[in-house]
Amino acid sequence: MKGSVIKYEKDNIDTDVILPGPYLKIHDYNELAKHAMEGLDKDFHSKVKNGDFIVAGRNFGCGSSREHAPIALAYSGIKAVLALSFARIFYRNAVDGAFLLPIEIDEKSYKSISDKDILEIVTEKNEIKNLTKNQIYSMKPFPELIGKIIAAGGLFNYKP
Amino acid sequence: MTKTLFEKIWDSHVVVEQKDGPSLLYVDRHLVHEVTSPQAFDGLRMNKRKVRRPDLTFATVDHNVPTSDRSLPIIDQISAKQIQVLETNCKNFGIQLFDIHSPNQGIVHVIGPELGITIPGATIVCGDSHTSTHGAFGALAFGIGTSDVEHVLATQCLWMDRPKTFEIRVEGKRKNVHAVTAKDIILSIIRQMGTSGGAGTVIEYRGQAITDLTMEQRMTVCNMSIEGGARAGLIAPDEKTFQYLKGRQYVPKNYDECVDYWQKNLKSDRGADFDKSITFHADKISPQVSWGTNPAMTTNVTDTVPFPEEYAKGNPDEEKAAIKALQYMNLKPGTYITDISLDRVFIGSCTNSRLEDLIEASKVIEGKKVSPKVRAMVVPGSQLVKKQAEELGLDKIFKDANFEWRESGCSMCLGMNPDILAAGERCASTSNRNFEGRQGAGGRTHLVSPVMAAAAAISGHFVDVRELDLN
Repeated sequence: MKGSVIKYEKDNIDTDVILPGPYLKIHDYNELAKHAMEGLDKDFHSKVKNGDFIVAGRNFGCGSSREHAPIALAYSGIKAVLALSFARIFYRNAVDGAFLLPIEIDEKSYKSISDKDILEIVTEKNEIKNLTKNQIYSMKPFPELIGKIIAAGGLFNYKP
Repeated sequence: MTKTLFEKIWDSHVVVEQKDGPSLLYVDRHLVHEVTSPQAFDGLRMNKRKVRRPDLTFATVDHNVPTSDRSLPIIDQISAKQIQVLETNCKNFGIQLFDIHSPNQGIVHVIGPELGITIPGATIVCGDSHTSTHGAFGALAFGIGTSDVEHVLATQCLWMDRPKTFEIRVEGKRKNVHAVTAKDIILSIIRQMGTSGGAGTVIEYRGQAITDLTMEQRMTVCNMSIEGGARAGLIAPDEKTFQYLKGRQYVPKNYDECVDYWQKNLKSDRGADFDKSITFHADKISPQVSWGTNPAMTTNVTDTVPFPEEYAKGNPDEEKAAIKALQYMNLKPGTYITDISLDRVFIGSCTNSRLEDLIEASKVIEGKKVSPKVRAMVVPGSQLVKKQAEELGLDKIFKDANFEWRESGCSMCLGMNPDILAAGERCASTSNRNFEGRQGAGGRTHLVSPVMAAAAAISGHFVDVRELDLN
């Protein structure tokens, strides 16, 4: 999985800025995508490309349980969010619906990655290659359940 | 072997346990609302699945319902559609719905306890992060997303990794029980532990200041557990819990037998080990006001807006976050909290919209008028709260003071319905999140107790409510 980075050097990016409340009435996923990150970055929709990654700080996706948040990101083209940590419900929503990969990275990798860097994520090796900077970072392995749900392609395909 | 309350509830609900792996947990009650359920029902249809236990599933409309006159049609067509879709889904799948005209309609976390759907020792889920509210009854209750909602509808079970246990003790007594409220207790806890201090844990709130709380106050505390990052918050049930629930519509028919069981089983054993523990002292807690853009950015009403470097205590990321928060909030460090003037006041939300909240707020405003600079509204949490408040004449007190008295729903807590802040407006709000844009794009939220919100409405700025006569 290869893509370009959109970096927000910020902790506590909450679901209200990822997908603001007024749009929770929308059922069409492509329509939701038009409002992704609108509370934080008005230019997100115009700059995001299919296959991009978001890089952010601690407690990404805190707040509301709205699955609309990972859906809006996924339908914008985001394939993974790399963050120092995630809020639990966002994390589960991201993998349950097979929307995107929530990947925990360490402080050093977080600081090393810049906006627009090209990364290659190799989950089988728990490895992130920064092709722009020629660096290699490790990602925190998925917990057992999460790894299995991801491998199955979402919660409903998961059989213990 | 000694066990905590959480461990007892968890262990009694495990359907499948895997060594070092996730557990499949049985769900006793599933609450459903219009915003996080449509895709879940679509998924059931697509896969030709039924709702496994419609008798344990209860639905209402709360997030996007207008709080204006309910005899009129809903103007926002997209909201109207979402509400109608839930009605159709409930009809097709045989689920009890408290619709927009039901006397039981209300915020899902207000009506669950009110109707006795919430009971001690149960596992309760809902597609809403503030499901932690129900932990006030000694239920293990947590928010889930739409895929999990579909999974629970189909199977009545949920895959989960076992959380860790976190004991938060609040010892001693509050100095002024009307001015220092449950909201001030939980805000001061989150202020200290941060927005992710509870991550991966289920909190059990204990100590005299917690057991002293009424059931409605306990709900306020457990409600905001999620703002500290916890999966759930719990308080062991006691006589107050059993009295509160007695005779409510949906409690089990063998209620007295249940109480016997709950009394014997639903408490942490003496000497049970928690993975972590912190202690607060109730007599040191002051009325709280949030100044920033997450609930941990909160301070005492008698303090000033902090300088970012002082708030950050050497953490450069925190300092940056504080600078940005102050910009968004348009506040200068060093400003006295009591000098912050307001445009709007909102009393409502699943945190603080219950009868006692409205009674406490009404004491502040009785015989007074809302400041001419302020627009203030009260949104009761449910139709039942509204009816009970009207029987006590609270609607008259609020209306005489120039508060708007509205119909029940989530309203301005999350800005999904027409009740929103305009850009730049500053609001004293009894809700739970002060995130950027939460109450409307560009709106500025200060989280406070109902008493503080009411006092701010009258004065036009925050006041030290301990100086008011609230008895």
